[in-house]
Amino acid sequence: MTEPAFFILTALLDAPRHGYGIVAEVADLSHGQVQLKIGSLYGVLDRLVGDGLVELDREEAWQGRLRRYYRVTEQGRATLAAEADRLAANARLASARLHEQRNPITGTSS
Amino acid sequence: MSRLEERYRLLLRLLPAAYRQEWEDDMVAAFLESMDTGDPETTAYLADYGRPSLSEAASIVALAVRLRLRADTSPRSRVWGHAVQLATLMLLLTHAVMVTGSIAIALWYSGKLAWLPAPAPEFALTTPASIWSTTWNLAGYAWLPAYLALVLGYRRVAQAVALLAIVPPIITTAMAQAVGDEPLTVSPWAMRLVDVALLLAMAAFPHGAAPVSRRPWLLALPIGIFLVALPLFILQAVEPALRLLDWPGLLCAAVAVAMAVHLTARATGRSTRTLPWSLAFTLLAATALVLRAVTLPDFLDQAERTTLTTIAAVQVVAVLTVGVPLAVSALRALRNVPSAPAATPNPTTPS
Repeated sequence: MTEPAFFILTALLDAPRHGYGIVAEVADLSHGQVQLKIGSLYGVLDRLVGDGLVELDREEAWQGRLRRYYRVTEQGRATLAAEADRLAANARLASARLHEQRNPITGTSS
Repeated sequence: MSRLEERYRLLLRLLPAAYRQEWEDDMVAAFLESMDTGDPETTAYLADYGRPSLSEAASIVALAVRLRLRADTSPRSRVWGHAVQLATLMLLLTHAVMVTGSIAIALWYSGKLAWLPAPAPEFALTTPASIWSTTWNLAGYAWLPAYLALVLGYRRVAQAVALLAIVPPIITTAMAQAVGDEPLTVSPWAMRLVDVALLLAMAAFPHGAAPVSRRPWLLALPIGIFLVALPLFILQAVEPALRLLDWPGLLCAAVAVAMAVHLTARATGRSTRTLPWSLAFTLLAATALVLRAVTLPDFLDQAERTTLTTIAAVQVVAVLTVGVPLAVSALRALRNVPSAPAATPNPTTPS
């Protein structure tokens, strides 16, 4: 799973969001590290919808336009959970190794 | 509809029609919202005078190229996607071959190739002012690893390395023209623009889609170096008149010759498999012609402008003579390729 897809699914976990709402939430969640462009967002969103991980929740009128809200599906939650577990296991592995290894410069456990 | 919305919708026309039908309005709404600054006056100003940023435009171009290569897009889009891939590889190959040639030229200028006639004094190599300028000049050689990375399937590496080849010349050209070391000319900018387009077109190489046949493209590199770059370099060394061939001129000549070879081969071969090649050559011919046309004003300040303009006219005629029949036949053949996307369920129907 790509980083943008990971953050988009995470952004949709607590509530359905519209396009720009997802962009803003992802920027917030990633502390500004992931700044989605609209083209990138809809490239990923199209794939997530196609794979059944995200679906349309509702359409609402806003300033004369229709806003589409998207929500994460059960399959999307399961996929995200599996990815989060995988990343967490990787992070634990790295942390454990870091604690095991002595710092070659200071000679202390880092 | 505001001017900003018009501009964004114009940009979105790069996307396949079926995709736009599904997502365009939503993308426009999200984009306009992203341009809302919260200050009504600034937002109103942007609605009239704002335009999508370069990064926003790049994201749409990349999405368009990716979508056109995807398996569930129409056969016609796939043909175009394959054509963009081929054109990108050919242009990148040309860069890789020519930078290898330029290494030979650098060796010649520095007197390392004693068996060749000494270079004319005006071509004598001047010592680089600093290690920075040397590094900057070497940046162009990055096209060689960029090409290899793309052929071997490392698209992101190729794009990153190609950036190394593009950015330094932009900086040095801008600085040299700003301080008056170089005359204000269109040529370097037009070439950099083609390079940027090349960088964006590399997005046509997503994982798993239409893998590149490695062997022929890897073989093309030494063949190009020995059959094109080195003979050209030696010819330019012994025949000063050939030095009047600039980069757009070389591109016109290379495209015209390649199209002639392709037309001859196609006359005996299978037209369905050659269609992406024909379209790729059409794209390259159009690029070469535009590059030739926009760089013509630079000849006005040259002492040999009449000769240079005549040579340019010959190049344009050569490209048009071979390119127009090729483009016409390719576009006719394209009409026989289904344009309808494969039937897919509507993914955004509310449930």
